[in-house]
Amino acid sequence: MHEMSFAMALLENALRIGEEKKAKRISKIRIEIGELLLINPEQLRFCFEAVSKNTIAENAELEIEFTKARVKCSICGKEYDEIKNICECGGFIEVNGGKEMIIKKVEMEV
Amino acid sequence: MHKIEVDAKIDVLSLNKRYAKENREFFRKNNILVINVMGAIGSGKTLLIEKTIDSLGYKIGAILGDVVCKADYDRISKHKVKAKAINTGKECHLDAHLVNHVIDEFDDVDILFIENVGNLICPVDFDLGEDIRVVMVSVTEGDDVVAKHPEIFRIADVIIINKVGLAKFVGANVEKMFNDAKDLNPKAKIIRMDLKEGIGFDEWLDLVNSYVSRHNREG
Repeated sequence: MHEMSFAMALLENALRIGEEKKAKRISKIRIEIGELLLINPEQLRFCFEAVSKNTIAENAELEIEFTKARVKCSICGKEYDEIKNICECGGFIEVNGGKEMIIKKVEMEV
Repeated sequence: MHKIEVDAKIDVLSLNKRYAKENREFFRKNNILVINVMGAIGSGKTLLIEKTIDSLGYKIGAILGDVVCKADYDRISKHKVKAKAINTGKECHLDAHLVNHVIDEFDDVDILFIENVGNLICPVDFDLGEDIRVVMVSVTEGDDVVAKHPEIFRIADVIIINKVGLAKFVGANVEKMFNDAKDLNPKAKIIRMDLKEGIGFDEWLDLVNSYVSRHNREG
């Protein structure tokens, strides 16, 4: 389980932005998580709750949106919505993206 | 007091990506082939590295990642190669930053093995700057171990199914494991192996030799 390291990195970044804006409280953090990143959102929330105790981000809501990977045949270029390995044409399918964790917005009280 | 929303666009993994890039540049500059050996606990990762050191004439180094203890480091050190243990403490994977701390000591090797922490989930998300990713499992983990951990097999260049000689004793179907791996990753090289019996080991050595030749050719 590496949700703890991600929760700590999230907190660190959110606190830095909060400090820059002289925030009194951070109320929400909007993040995008790639569908292929091996992160469990419930565990991430749990870890974030633990590491954010006694900081201005305590009780902040994590609003999580999942982003899709790009799944495309390397031969015919056909795109798929789901992860596949071999295309209908027999070509190898390339999977790109879907592995990011991006902090999009931080909501705070100033 | 009022509410504001600040645009951030911060990549949480950017720090790891930066160190991975730095590691890759160091390895390229010193012409080192780097092999990240990932896999389940007890699947045979350390033995694979030990036997490879004994069988090939290259100058080999090894970084051994474990949560605690230096048992793997002690084993590798007996083979008279440069080795370094990284204890991750609470973490279940190596990251590029931890590796970055120790690579300077390996600037004169031909091949650097990085043995990751035994785990089939967490190492997937952390690029270390390696050239080749090996994922090793063994039949004693159950023949559904490949299907249960798709992501790590998808990113592998080499998939090793070890301890095939024990399959009949534990009721594991090696062909199911092989086919699951092939379905998930048609591009990977898949080796049926039994390190203690010597099965599949020559195929592995040929592969390592071919990677070294390609590396020297392409840089």
